[in-house]
Amino acid sequence: MKMRNTTTRLMTGAAACAVASVIAASGAVAAGNPLLIGLTSDASGQYANSGASDRRGMMMAIEEFNSKGGVLGRQIKTIHIDTETTPATGSRVAERMITRDKVGFMIGAVSSGVANAISQVAQKYGVVYLNTNSSSPTESGKNCHRVKFVWDGNGKNFAQAAVKNAVSKYGKKWVLMTNDYVWGHNTSKATRSLAEGAGAKIAEEIMIPQGTRDFSSSLLKIQQLNPKVVAAAVGGDDQKAMRTQISQLDMGTKYAWINNQQDWPDVYGLPTKNLFGVFGTTWYYKFDLPGVKEFNAKYQKMYPHTKMKVPGNVFYNGYWATRSLMEAIEKAGTTENHAVIKQLEQLRIPAAVRMQHDDAFMNPKTHQMQQTVYLARANLSSKDKNDMFEIVAHASPATVKDGSADTTCKLESFADTPKYTP
Amino acid sequence: MDIILNLLPHLVNGLALGLLFALIALGFMLIVGVMELINLAHGSLFALGAYFAMSIIDPNLTYFGTFGEWYSGLSLTLRYVVALALAPALVAVVGMGLEICMRRTYGKKAEYGLLLTYGAALVIEETIRIVWGSAEQVMPIPDAVSGAFMAGGMIYSNYRFFAAGFGLLMIFVVWLFLEKTPYGATIKAGAHDSEMVRALGVNLTRLRLLVFGLGASLSAVAGIILTPIWGLRPHVGVDVVIPAFLIIVVGGIGSFWGAVIAGVMVGLVVAFSGAYVSEWSMMSMYLLLIAVITFRTRGLFGKKSSLEL
Repeated sequence: MKMRNTTTRLMTGAAACAVASVIAASGAVAAGNPLLIGLTSDASGQYANSGASDRRGMMMAIEEFNSKGGVLGRQIKTIHIDTETTPATGSRVAERMITRDKVGFMIGAVSSGVANAISQVAQKYGVVYLNTNSSSPTESGKNCHRVKFVWDGNGKNFAQAAVKNAVSKYGKKWVLMTNDYVWGHNTSKATRSLAEGAGAKIAEEIMIPQGTRDFSSSLLKIQQLNPKVVAAAVGGDDQKAMRTQISQLDMGTKYAWINNQQDWPDVYGLPTKNLFGVFGTTWYYKFDLPGVKEFNAKYQKMYPHTKMKVPGNVFYNGYWATRSLMEAIEKAGTTENHAVIKQLEQLRIPAAVRMQHDDAFMNPKTHQMQQTVYLARANLSSKDKNDMFEIVAHASPATVKDGSADTTCKLESFADTPKYTP
Repeated sequence: MDIILNLLPHLVNGLALGLLFALIALGFMLIVGVMELINLAHGSLFALGAYFAMSIIDPNLTYFGTFGEWYSGLSLTLRYVVALALAPALVAVVGMGLEICMRRTYGKKAEYGLLLTYGAALVIEETIRIVWGSAEQVMPIPDAVSGAFMAGGMIYSNYRFFAAGFGLLMIFVVWLFLEKTPYGATIKAGAHDSEMVRALGVNLTRLRLLVFGLGASLSAVAGIILTPIWGLRPHVGVDVVIPAFLIIVVGGIGSFWGAVIAGVMVGLVVAFSGAYVSEWSMMSMYLLLIAVITFRTRGLFGKKSSLEL
């Protein structure tokens, strides 16, 4: 592991220096006083692929604003440094972006551990930080911060949508598979609480260390336990390997699989037989809702060469977080952090604008976006290789609300949040 | 009896997994044993082999007219066999190119070789990203080895047992080559005393080139066999280097059977820890390393290797 970290650090360090110097050079010759945004998405490690998708979403929103003159008349520039799916790197990147590069805002996260690390640094300096795609309940619970806003549904939201129904429909003997880090722990904790509350018995919780590539032992163990339901909170590359191996064993149909959220970059291109079970998402490109076709067309125009031919939930969150930040700055009429935070806390987006089934709004107590959560499964009848999901249900923000977050989240006061005006 | 019945599937799984680990370590062992070089590009060559195989099995032949149509019409099994033969050969060429770059580092501090192979690993991984993209890919496997079978009330993957069997076959082939052919004898002699081999008129430069090519092609074979289980992404090789290194250290540097037995031991340790103390499953192989090295610094079957001379 040490060697892997060293490898990625050296590689990404070199890449980051190159990217930073190019951007710094371009910033120096730009007219006016550009607003510099720090993109803190992973480019290596477990969430490299999702990080790239996240970044594309941010860049599309930035491109939209720049094409109409920027925000408050300032062109938006970006700097990206790889956070390596590693919390320690996340801290270092945030510190560097704020103190050396003087970024105005920071956007991006897939790993909850990284998001937590970045947000601690952001809070110290008062820099507004948007956690676009990490979904541990702790991000808007005990690890919440005044400067941090969380855009994705969290593990508890998805569990609320799926778990109770699964206990009554499939049975009471459950096994949990838990990725051994903050998101996995908290998501499984939420699942356990909801399942046990609905009368289920957790026969065993199998811990999956990050970086696991061989799941054969765990899958044999599940067969020996013979549960009715397996609830898996396994993400990123680990999940891809796990899905492949479950599929090879034809275990996808033997048990009811409840997979928390299923990020689009994690499954895009996989055979649909690997997409067993029910899983959550916050958006799907095939929604028959206003604006979706135009959004897809814009994505395809901006990214004609990417292998992911249609946008997914990670891109969607990256886009909406960035767009909402820009709109909040415009509404505030300033980039001063307290004013922007107050605007974001009041954020409401009508369903028709956000391309979801319910209006979305920012919870001012937890700073988590309250939005529609969808349950999906594999679309086995589709002839279109992009059309992989079949949306089977959707739940309103009120139905899936993470009620405990309101009490566990203790936002710092404005007085305790340093003022910062980029 | 119940305990035995509970443990048996994990024992079988551990043995299968162990053969796969041994397969991963074969190419690494060959290069370390003969050339005294820790090849940090081993994992990237593993990944490159898988990507070459992927392109051979499922190529984009839009611009190749009738040849494209003819090739696409071949059965998946045939294309898979072609990939298993051709992709390692292509990676062998890349490996030989790397060995030519290495020559100026021979006789210098080990760090030069480490840095060069590390740099090569980065270049190969980024090249993969540029050519094939960074998204997850799935390598198709022939129907004959896909699916699953039931035994003792448990489901096992056909492919995993095919892969383990193939690993066993490769171990046998490499052993046959090293032990029963004059080329193998020369390679082994080169590992023990390269100067003496040179004095006997053997072209040491060519020998090193061939060994590096062979080691690289074995990495590629492991990549082709393992990626249908682990998945295919540009950094898949990162997951390979450390277990490979660990296995040859546990087995004893330069020892063929040491690497094989250490591979099986690692497989068993990972399988049992994964089943009964899953949070320790990643760490278990490192604990095995510590346990072995504490009591036997040269590893299980390590003789006084050329590295100690």
